[in-house]
Amino acid sequence: MTDSKADFNPFGKLTYLVIDDFENFRLSMRQMLRSCGADKIELVAHANQAIQHCTYNHVDVVLCDFNLGEGKNGQHILEELRHKKLLKRSSLFLMVTAETSKEMVMGAREYQPDAYLTKPINRAVLEKRLGALISQRNILLPINREIDRENYPEAISLCLQALPRQPRYKTWLMKTLGDLYFQLGDLAHALKIYDDVLAQRELSWAKLGRCKVLLAKRSLDEAVDGLRDLLAKHPDYMEAYDLLAEGLERQGRPTQAQQVLEKAAEHSPNALLRQKHLAELAGSNQDMDTASDAWRRTVELGTHSIHDNSEHYLALGQTLADLSEGDLEEEGAQKAKEALAVLKRMEKRFDGEDGISLRSRIVQCRVYAGQGQDQQAARILESIRPELQDTAAMDARTGLDYAKTLFRLGHEADAKQLLGEMSERFSDDPETLQKIESLLDEPVGFRQKIKARTLNRDGIRAFESGNLQEAAETFSKALEIVPDHAALNLNLVQVLMKKHADDPGNPELLKRCQYCLNRLTGLPEQHRQHRRYIALQRKLKGLMQ
Amino acid sequence: MNDQNIDFSMVLASAVHDMKNSLGMLLNSLDELRSEHEESLGESSRFNTLQYEAERMHNDLVQLLGIYRLGENNLSAHIEEHFVPDFLSEHLARHTPLLQGLGIEVSVEAGDINGFFDEDLLTGVLNNTINNAIRYTRSRILLTAGQRDGYLVIGVEDDGKGYPESMQHTGTLNFKSLDFKSGSTSLGLFFASSVAKLHSEGGRSGSIKLHNGGSFGGGVFEIWLP
Repeated sequence: MTDSKADFNPFGKLTYLVIDDFENFRLSMRQMLRSCGADKIELVAHANQAIQHCTYNHVDVVLCDFNLGEGKNGQHILEELRHKKLLKRSSLFLMVTAETSKEMVMGAREYQPDAYLTKPINRAVLEKRLGALISQRNILLPINREIDRENYPEAISLCLQALPRQPRYKTWLMKTLGDLYFQLGDLAHALKIYDDVLAQRELSWAKLGRCKVLLAKRSLDEAVDGLRDLLAKHPDYMEAYDLLAEGLERQGRPTQAQQVLEKAAEHSPNALLRQKHLAELAGSNQDMDTASDAWRRTVELGTHSIHDNSEHYLALGQTLADLSEGDLEEEGAQKAKEALAVLKRMEKRFDGEDGISLRSRIVQCRVYAGQGQDQQAARILESIRPELQDTAAMDARTGLDYAKTLFRLGHEADAKQLLGEMSERFSDDPETLQKIESLLDEPVGFRQKIKARTLNRDGIRAFESGNLQEAAETFSKALEIVPDHAALNLNLVQVLMKKHADDPGNPELLKRCQYCLNRLTGLPEQHRQHRRYIALQRKLKGLMQ
Repeated sequence: MNDQNIDFSMVLASAVHDMKNSLGMLLNSLDELRSEHEESLGESSRFNTLQYEAERMHNDLVQLLGIYRLGENNLSAHIEEHFVPDFLSEHLARHTPLLQGLGIEVSVEAGDINGFFDEDLLTGVLNNTINNAIRYTRSRILLTAGQRDGYLVIGVEDDGKGYPESMQHTGTLNFKSLDFKSGSTSLGLFFASSVAKLHSEGGRSGSIKLHNGGSFGGGVFEIWLP
């Protein structure tokens, strides 16, 4: 191992950016870099200066301290630079930390630095570490250049050529290959890469990659088993939790998925996107306490993050509105107060964003109504109504939230009309359609929703075990809570028809069927229960003749 | 005030964490001081002691944290493939100023081989072992790496008096074998042994070996990784 530094100085050609809030550290870093042969070195103290600098200048090597005092930290800078594409893949980002364990600080979900440098750093360490990274960079430059150009097929063939020639970078090459095939959707080749690595040795990154491919291939069971196995051996492998949650969700096990994400968030609470995912999942599981905690954390983490979004504030406000609804005790009042404060903060922070005040007032309205302040709620509703006259221009989120508010304030007809219009307008957007359906079915608070859903499940169980009387009673009880619930009404109709088959002389049963079906008049054609509704209606007509 | 449920090991771990970071800053300053005042400090034995002892404390704290995470079942080996000579020479760089200050000669003897291990964990082990070697050697330290019996063996050899009879052994240490009464607790060896054990492949797992001899006839520390 000889390096010919005399005729070639690998440090000299590159441009450097040092980010550290301590002047002493910046100066000593520059000193060390210079003595290694570097020349073009820029020093900055804060994140904003760093991002500013990268916007207007090309930087090859970033040396960034993780802890920058108040404001953004090193991870925020890395995310912002990569997200805005201010830093190419061929550039190096080195995170300087005082920590020895990277997972303890980071646990980030998306962007990882090229290397961590652990303090204390002396000149010899810097020269060795950075020198090795620079020569790796130079050798891999053609590949990274193609990746930056998104020319993946070319990048793949360069990787394949390099494999036999660069045994030193085998891990990097195999990881990159797996990833590139995956990005291209060539799952068979991606799988082969990971299997090749695993045939030699059980490496956790390859197991993770393999499970990721399996998920994409919809081999859900195998992927979920593999990820559980991986986590049993590596309980600190954050990406595996994210993938496992995704797998469980797609298997239709949202409660288990939520538990997995809760565990991950316990290990590493600072990854915004993971908290957001947890919040969404808990919300759809009607676990509003967990959802509000996770949204609160998401909002907090957004303070300095590129992923910050007004939707997080709105979601927190909506969740708190749900929790506080009808709870006039101290706890409810507290949550209502927090909801209003969050919305106010949002209006300030995202001032100028289109429709932000409107979105805020739609939620505020429900908060006041939920606390029994009907006059205040009505006043706000009157202030937003004129702005929402033009329903054709309304986006899905605003429309759904507005309909929810209309329901809460007792304007059911208006809400249903709005949702009817929307299901036509969004007839090719299944996600929105499903939300419209849920709202039409269950325009009630989450506690009542949970009650109705439990009763529905109990009713189905009773029906399956042949206990028709109990099934009918249970479904009826559920319908007292959510009288317009399409599936529930149809479930009851089916039970009653079955009872009628055993007891054909009883006209009361068919009358009740008719009553249930009448409730569903005006069910939008796009509703998933619509076909079943039509079929049962026809059947009833036959029975009544 | 009986309802304060203090998780004492958690408190300790946080405190250790802070102390470790402070020492990191201190060591940084020492490195800077040394390079700024190379003429006057280069040969200063007091300055060398200062740096050596600070380094030793830093290592101990790193190990303490590692053992804490081990106890919490929150430490696992993230094994990747590494080019061994690069790893060793990058690693050695950290000790260069002190070694030069003490006039200790270091060399690396490693073939161009790849090895499978967790970089961070092994760094912790080697830091401690090299620090130990600095303490007991007379003038030379050698890092070795090679393949033996299907294991990657990384060794640290010195030309000191070697390990006393009671310390020479092979295999794994358990927590009970730590002797808190004698001056040396062997905390470092316990940590090294635990790290070795975390490296497993198929049915085999890693271990450490201590003996005397080697190229210089002094102490030899070896970590065997499958």
